[in-house]
Amino acid sequence: MGVVHGEEMVLNIGPQHPSTHGVLRLKVKTDGEIISEITPVIGYLHRCFEKHCENMTYDQVIPFTDRCDYLAAMANNFGYVVAVEELMELKVPEKVEYIRVIMAELQRIASHLLALGVYGLDIGAFTPFLFMLRDRERILDMFEMTCGARLLYNYMWVGGVSHDLPKGFVETAFQFLDYFEPQIEEYNKLLTYNKIFIERTADIGVLPQDVAISYGVSGPNLRASGVKWDLRRNDTYSIYEKFDFDVCIGDGGQGTLGDCWDRYYVRMLEIKESVKILRQALAQMPKDGDVHQALPKKIRPPKGSIYSRTETPRGDLGFYIESDGSPIPTRVKMRSPAFTALSVLGELAGGWMMSDVISILGSLDIVLGEIDR
Amino acid sequence: MSSEQEKLIAELIEKGLAGDMDSINAIEDRVLRSKVKSGLAKAKRAAKNAAVAAAKESSPEESSAEIMPSDHPNQKFAFMIEEKFPDSLADTLNDTHIQIKPDQWFEIASWLKSEPSLYFDSLQCHTGIDLGENMLEARYNLHSMKHDHKIEIRIAVSRDNAHIPSIEQIWRIGDWFERETYDMFGIFFDGHRDHRRMLLPEDWEGYPLRKDYEVQETYHGIIIPKVKEGWE
Amino acid sequence: MSVDTLFDFLGSIIPAMEGSGLLLVIAILIPCLLLFLVVAVNAIVMVYAERKVAAFMQDRVGPMGQGVGLHAGKWGLLQTVADALKLLTKEDIIPKNADKLLFILAPFMIFIGAFVTIVAVPFGENVIVADFNIGIFYILAMGSLGVIGIILAGWSSNNKWSLYGGMRSAAQIISYEIPAGLSIIVIIMLTGTLSMQGIIQYQAGGMFNWIIFANPFSFIAFFIYFISVVAETNRTPFDIPEAESELVGGFHTEYSGMRWSFFFLSEYANMLVVCAVAAAGFLGGWHSPIPGYFDSNGWGVFWMMSKIVFLIFVMMWFRWTFPRLRVDQLMNICWKVFLPISLINIFGVGIWTLVFG
Repeated sequence: MGVVHGEEMVLNIGPQHPSTHGVLRLKVKTDGEIISEITPVIGYLHRCFEKHCENMTYDQVIPFTDRCDYLAAMANNFGYVVAVEELMELKVPEKVEYIRVIMAELQRIASHLLALGVYGLDIGAFTPFLFMLRDRERILDMFEMTCGARLLYNYMWVGGVSHDLPKGFVETAFQFLDYFEPQIEEYNKLLTYNKIFIERTADIGVLPQDVAISYGVSGPNLRASGVKWDLRRNDTYSIYEKFDFDVCIGDGGQGTLGDCWDRYYVRMLEIKESVKILRQALAQMPKDGDVHQALPKKIRPPKGSIYSRTETPRGDLGFYIESDGSPIPTRVKMRSPAFTALSVLGELAGGWMMSDVISILGSLDIVLGEIDR
Repeated sequence: MSSEQEKLIAELIEKGLAGDMDSINAIEDRVLRSKVKSGLAKAKRAAKNAAVAAAKESSPEESSAEIMPSDHPNQKFAFMIEEKFPDSLADTLNDTHIQIKPDQWFEIASWLKSEPSLYFDSLQCHTGIDLGENMLEARYNLHSMKHDHKIEIRIAVSRDNAHIPSIEQIWRIGDWFERETYDMFGIFFDGHRDHRRMLLPEDWEGYPLRKDYEVQETYHGIIIPKVKEGWE
Repeated sequence: MSVDTLFDFLGSIIPAMEGSGLLLVIAILIPCLLLFLVVAVNAIVMVYAERKVAAFMQDRVGPMGQGVGLHAGKWGLLQTVADALKLLTKEDIIPKNADKLLFILAPFMIFIGAFVTIVAVPFGENVIVADFNIGIFYILAMGSLGVIGIILAGWSSNNKWSLYGGMRSAAQIISYEIPAGLSIIVIIMLTGTLSMQGIIQYQAGGMFNWIIFANPFSFIAFFIYFISVVAETNRTPFDIPEAESELVGGFHTEYSGMRWSFFFLSEYANMLVVCAVAAAGFLGGWHSPIPGYFDSNGWGVFWMMSKIVFLIFVMMWFRWTFPRLRVDQLMNICWKVFLPISLINIFGVGIWTLVFG
């Protein structure tokens, strides 16, 4: 019998598409419903961040870092500020460290809520998305209370933070945490253990450990493949060693180790861990202290270079900063976790169906602002 | 080539080595002139090598003392690289980075990944940088998940001949990182299987992050404004 | 009122034209017009209900207004009117390389498929346009016409994404008609008649005479039927053909304005018909659950409508709770799970009736 000769169709997903998380174009070769090859094409959101940095002073760069990963702006600020302070060997007061950790963990919860909600939306579950966004609004209200902005903060400065915590912040935060912890159970009931959701995500897009490390995948994506690697624990910065929290790894709970369900579940577990850290940080924070006392008059790091990394909700954010002693950096390179996560899509998605590609892309949790800078 | 010509060429090379280029440039026969010039270049190179060898011979204790590493891990790694791949380091040992020459980079990289005591299995960051003085540099930050140590490797190339062996088959993230560095700096990575621009469109001219970059006049008929005023 | 009674009635008031063809045509047109009104009102009400139900399930309020004519009317009641006006005034875009005739024809085909089936749906004891003696067979057959419209829409848009949506939808609808039809056979086996009013008459006498409680196999058949029709009307969890996050809009991506709203008009009309068939076939139609109470003539419409409304609410509930199934999982469920169960149902009902009478 002869073989039925089919033709491969080349299809474009994006750049304008409801579920590509930004302006991403995927060139897809399909044979019916099965995908044979997928090539991401990026660069639609390139705003020349690194070139701008060569014309601005160190503190003028901070609002630009906000806009790279706009869904986790506090984490970007944190990463950059830690890098510059390490270059300058600047110590910040303890209160500032606590505030930074609190903001970073709140931002982690907000970012994961959005990632999980949007993932549910891609799969077709409309309601969990709105529930998670409702809870994220409360976090954004807290941010607005502190620094006046909901999405792009320019909050963490080199040597301190821009505003001290307002009166009543700690009480509001505790109220939020008390309200929020039972909500996680509700999300689990609604989406995480839903049979249809599990069928759509388990055993799909399995990422083996060595492939993940070779591709530089980090953060929840790496942990879901079973690698116990968290920068807050393994390469500690700021005051994370004072807090007691677990590093959550995936265990193939509903399918193979490293599938989409694991990546979703690791993020859900991380939200719980962040709540733990927040409770400890809010309790231990020193009540008084001036957050502006360590702000340097002029930021002139010594000649040299540094590569420093922090743990953002998406993975390892690295900043390579080269300075020649002047107030303007020579080179700032931002190594974004979503860039590496997207590069592994070509490996993961071959041989799956169209709906699975959407599922895999959603589970990687990418933000185009970070990839294109 | 007749012996007379050879003698003439040798004479002119001597003059050139002494610094007298006018007599060479005044030669009317183009073929002869080119022969003299290439002979001069060879002679200069040979002289330099002889000088280096002489310097090495004359101070063996100093040179061996130079490459003896201190206790800093970075210097130990550099020493190990120099032992395995002689003549690959391009700078003295220091505490922050390892400067190597581009020729053996692919072999060094494979060895760094596979050697059990080093086991650098993760390329964390790949930065391109314009050093000025006509030099571009690529910097690799490597990290080992198993041993939890890291190094930074720098490879400097000249702007006119910016070729570095590609390591995208060793660390798969190198694929995208190297494309981005090529896009921004114009460093060519030999052996890269998919060598094209990453963030900018395929038909963009120039390499933006170089210090002497001038943006092009028009792009597909759209004029790119140079004077950015009145935009409020 | 059936066409016959209306024909006789018109003949009696205009004796001059009694028995003429023109009177017959008028007698047919008037109920059809009324039916069209029913479909239109149904669409308006269901769009509003869907948005409000969605909103309340998602912890928000949905369309709201401050008073008649202000913004969207009190509680947003005029929202659908505003939507309809907006859609009517939109620019009619037809893609350049689209197959123009088929592109324009497709929404009509789908609407026809939904509209002709309403003719045989009983809303009350005497409230039915045409009481065929092959009623339920007619509804099943005519309901399949909609698939042609979807395939035409997907193909003629000249868009790979629409093609995907059209193909997926065709496969889905055609496959799910089989378990639905087989479950209807259970009803036919028990009642012995294909006529809609006949089926409802069989279930007279209170809740426990309803076919859903007749024997365990028909109980299962009801659920198989209900889930199959959720798949047939392209509702979540089976709304892969219009999966917004994957195919942008599936087969209706290229449509805009009133053409696009036709797809949704027909989807809601389809929902009405299949819920009506489920209510009539399994849930006792226009009979009241408690015999003797609220059972007189006018109450029939009330009971029928309340059962239909309840089933539609359950369909909306599904939409906002469940994620979407993937195409091959969908087909898996149909052919490997529902079809065997439906066949077993038919077998079981037969044996049960034989043994227990």
